[in-house]
Amino acid sequence: MSAPSATVVTDLPPWRRFKYPQSLIHFGALLGVLVFLAYSVEYLNIPLERLLTMFGKIGIQLSDRYFPPDIEYIQNRDYFGSVLDTVQMAYLGALFGLVLSLFLGWFGAHNVTPSRRLVYPVARLITMICRAVHEMIWAIIFVTILGFGMLPGVLALMLFCTGFAGKLFAEEVEAIDMGPVEAMRATGANGLQAFVYGVFPQVRVAFTGIAIYTWDVAFRAATVVGFFGAGGMGWYLKRNVLQIESERVAAILLSIILLVFVSEVASAWARQRVAKMQ
Amino acid sequence: MQTEQQRITADQLLAARSVTRWRRAAVVIALFLLVAWSIKITVIDDTDWERIGSLGSIVEKSGRFLALDVSLLPKLIEPAIETLMIACLGTLLGVVLCIPVIWFGAANVTPFKPVTYPVARMLMTLSRSIHEIVWALFFVAAVGLGALAGVLAIAMRSIGFIAKISAEAIEDIDPKAVEAIQAMGGNKLQVLRYAILPQVLPVIIGVTVFEWEINIRRSAILGLVGAGGLGLVFFRQMNTFNYPGVTTVILAILVLILLGEVLSHYSRKAVI
Repeated sequence: MSAPSATVVTDLPPWRRFKYPQSLIHFGALLGVLVFLAYSVEYLNIPLERLLTMFGKIGIQLSDRYFPPDIEYIQNRDYFGSVLDTVQMAYLGALFGLVLSLFLGWFGAHNVTPSRRLVYPVARLITMICRAVHEMIWAIIFVTILGFGMLPGVLALMLFCTGFAGKLFAEEVEAIDMGPVEAMRATGANGLQAFVYGVFPQVRVAFTGIAIYTWDVAFRAATVVGFFGAGGMGWYLKRNVLQIESERVAAILLSIILLVFVSEVASAWARQRVAKMQ
Repeated sequence: MQTEQQRITADQLLAARSVTRWRRAAVVIALFLLVAWSIKITVIDDTDWERIGSLGSIVEKSGRFLALDVSLLPKLIEPAIETLMIACLGTLLGVVLCIPVIWFGAANVTPFKPVTYPVARMLMTLSRSIHEIVWALFFVAAVGLGALAGVLAIAMRSIGFIAKISAEAIEDIDPKAVEAIQAMGGNKLQVLRYAILPQVLPVIIGVTVFEWEINIRRSAILGLVGAGGLGLVFFRQMNTFNYPGVTTVILAILVLILLGEVLSHYSRKAVI
């Protein structure tokens, strides 16, 4: 088949993804972001020349002060006891937090909340406050009220987990199929019955996965919550940081990394098994 | 088809069910005992109950936080801007540092799988397992007090999550686009630019915005170890026992985070 004698247009401008007004907006937005970043470097007085010398300094610091890690220091009963404390603190905090966030997930989900005017915004506000305030701030506040010890740590982790899991739970509940819930309500079930028999079976597997993940995150936070006096390994860390015992700090950090790695592998394995049960 | 061995009688079924019921009950009891034991060790034994005193004194001590120190408000504006900027710069630096980690950590594009893949995975875990407070301590020792240590700490802490999600997104891409570019004679860089990047860019931007939102909350506490921002004000108020001031700082952090949530909501809508 002979090609039709089509006229080849040669004077077309080269193809661009964005045409004139749009391209200008994109360019302007990019320029704005860059100006903002440059301004914030200026505003924060960041000494950029230190960025270049930083690597040498970090290398010297690591090789001189943090190496070799003082492994013997962490091989005693007290330290193992504090590791056990940390684990206990993490799962108690996660457990209490998950129980609370179950309610927040129910009250704070727009589709099944008992009252959209009153309960829903309150539950959302509580979730947001728990999430927004860092667990360190909670720990410091509870330490000032209750004194040193693991109870403030447990409470701080509890609030942290409440905010973390509450939001995920609520999002999970909002994505359910409303058919069974409406069917239950039509047969005269009250709010609790509708939640337990209509909502909960649909989100059980997702909730279990979120719960395991929450425990993992709580453990990561628990390793340092003691930094401000809330018990566990963080207290060891703080003491040695203040005494500039860098080799011991290195050993403690290595043990934290190892423990977090183990907990992460375990939680990934458990979550995979839970997902398969679906 | 069922053979003779596979057929289960009703009696066997009931017996099996009662066994699983017993096992389940045993697990529940064991868990309950474990929790009770932990509560005893962590809460009952380790707490200084005399210092806490009665319920009334707890209420009284908590009540000290229930006030606002309005005179502090003008002094909070500058640290709040600082906190926001530390979060922005830290997230950006994190994304830049992320790029090689994502490249090495995605199983289908990693240059030399036996070495680079595990290294990248290890870096991701390392970045996430060290708390931002510890990163900040480390960088305060390396570059001195100030916002730079905070920016670096935030960046290091962000790498892990952004890289993990992005690498998983790259592993899940549609390989047809890659093959098409390869068939047209595109080199590796062109494959990356025209086949992989367009598919994962929404994920990367989404996860970056999400991480930015979390980073605001992180940068608000980095001042506790000397990295500037609202945390420093919080620390000072706490040390001078100005509890209404503490509440004011917490409220300022809340406002900042609310602002971040609104911004991230709209920017995510604009991107996706």
